[in-house]
Amino acid sequence: MIEGQEIIDFHGHVGPWDVYGMYDDDSAMVKAMDAVGIDRSCLFNIFHPDGTSGNDQTAAFVARHPDRFVGFAYVSPLMPERIEKELGRAVDELGCVAIKIYPPYSTWKMTDPVWDPVYAFADDRGLALISHTGPEETCQPEQVGIVAARFPNANFVVGHAGNMEPFRTQAIEAAQANKNVYLETCSTFREPGVVERLVTEAGADRVVFGSDVPLMDPRSQLGKIITAGISDDAKRLVLGENAKRLLGMNYSQ
Amino acid sequence: MSNLSFTSRVPAFDANVGVGHRNNRRYPFDEPLQLVEEMARHGVDQALVYACHGETISPMHGNEALERWTGGENGLVPQYMVGADPESLRQIQGLHASGLVTHVRLHCTEMSRTPFVDWIYAPVLEWLVAEDLPLWVSMADTPPTEIVDTLTGYPDLRAVIVGAHYAHSAMALPMLRVLPNATLELSRYENTQGIEQLVEAVGANRLIYGSFFPRYAMGPILYMLNHLSIDDSDLAAICAGNVEKLIEGSVTDDK
Repeated sequence: MIEGQEIIDFHGHVGPWDVYGMYDDDSAMVKAMDAVGIDRSCLFNIFHPDGTSGNDQTAAFVARHPDRFVGFAYVSPLMPERIEKELGRAVDELGCVAIKIYPPYSTWKMTDPVWDPVYAFADDRGLALISHTGPEETCQPEQVGIVAARFPNANFVVGHAGNMEPFRTQAIEAAQANKNVYLETCSTFREPGVVERLVTEAGADRVVFGSDVPLMDPRSQLGKIITAGISDDAKRLVLGENAKRLLGMNYSQ
Repeated sequence: MSNLSFTSRVPAFDANVGVGHRNNRRYPFDEPLQLVEEMARHGVDQALVYACHGETISPMHGNEALERWTGGENGLVPQYMVGADPESLRQIQGLHASGLVTHVRLHCTEMSRTPFVDWIYAPVLEWLVAEDLPLWVSMADTPPTEIVDTLTGYPDLRAVIVGAHYAHSAMALPMLRVLPNATLELSRYENTQGIEQLVEAVGANRLIYGSFFPRYAMGPILYMLNHLSIDDSDLAAICAGNVEKLIEGSVTDDK
């Protein structure tokens, strides 16, 4: 909580990735969250194409701090036969409240029909779906705009907001063209003025704070928002209010 | 605890700030005062500034352009840059003879296609050791293996290794151990709890704050440093004290 504002981190990982110093250390994550007032982190495991293995790990991780972590379901078109059933299980049985996809771990662009069952599930349930985006051919943000227009009941969150130019501009244009597209802020590319531009051009009500915890420390990524030259009202939307609306959850403290 | 606004609670001396346009990047400010105002917004009192033009095109021309930024009493301290060309070293030596050089920054060796190897840079490194001047070298622009392989041949040279990324997380600590005279600048080191682990392993005196502006915004890393689980004395050392000692000529303590 920062000045009465609940803070929700929309982008975090479960699953050891020790070559980059990720060890599934929930206490380290909570300690960093506490240091800056982050109330909840949304987490997903993108390392297992069957979906089930990673989603079970996510659920177990969330269960260690159910008041601090929120689980997202992950599926992959590498195992298309599992997508619908696993999404149903993850949402209805494990309590996942949104969906994460990571197209660079496959060969299909986000606009390929192989992804449609994922979008259809999100559209049918009215869920948010966050995708990694960036320069990779499979997930450039202009593809999000095309897909979002086809599935208007789902909300699409552009992970990393395209990461760099010209993909950042694509992300902004996708949000401008589709009211169900949001831009998420975590990125190792922290040039000056990025958060200000996202808020100015896409709207403060369309930008959500994310950190990539534990790959990146949530304190520096939160610092991007806090030190940006935007109004306090805009910061409140980015840091929590937009995520609460997207997740459709009533967080009673 | 955090607030919706931020300014550093300890004096801050940014050890890594570029100024001016680069051939492939427009600089956000036209005047030094605008940079000073941006620094003040985050509570940064002083900064070491180098010419972005010198990173990729001409260290010599960049050094010449630096005076426009550092000429006044504005907290901007010149960081002169050296390249592989012998004329570049001669320029730095001349500036040093005039009392202007407190430390030196290496240009971007990868973009300049002059690898950081002893058979190219020995004259620069030998001169820096002889004059006891620290060298700033960027892991974002020079391969880590070249940095370690070359600097191990100059154990008396004080080095500031700039721009270690989270992707370098497995390298940072071994690098600091094999280079006991090196200090790590933290602009891109944002592994979760990673800085606290480095403080525990090598001590706060081996770490310094830098923003790597304008590649990176000035505030986020300083914000993170102000929210680390470390002593205030360690925070003060990382944010300003260590870099002040480095450019004043004090030898960094080993731990």
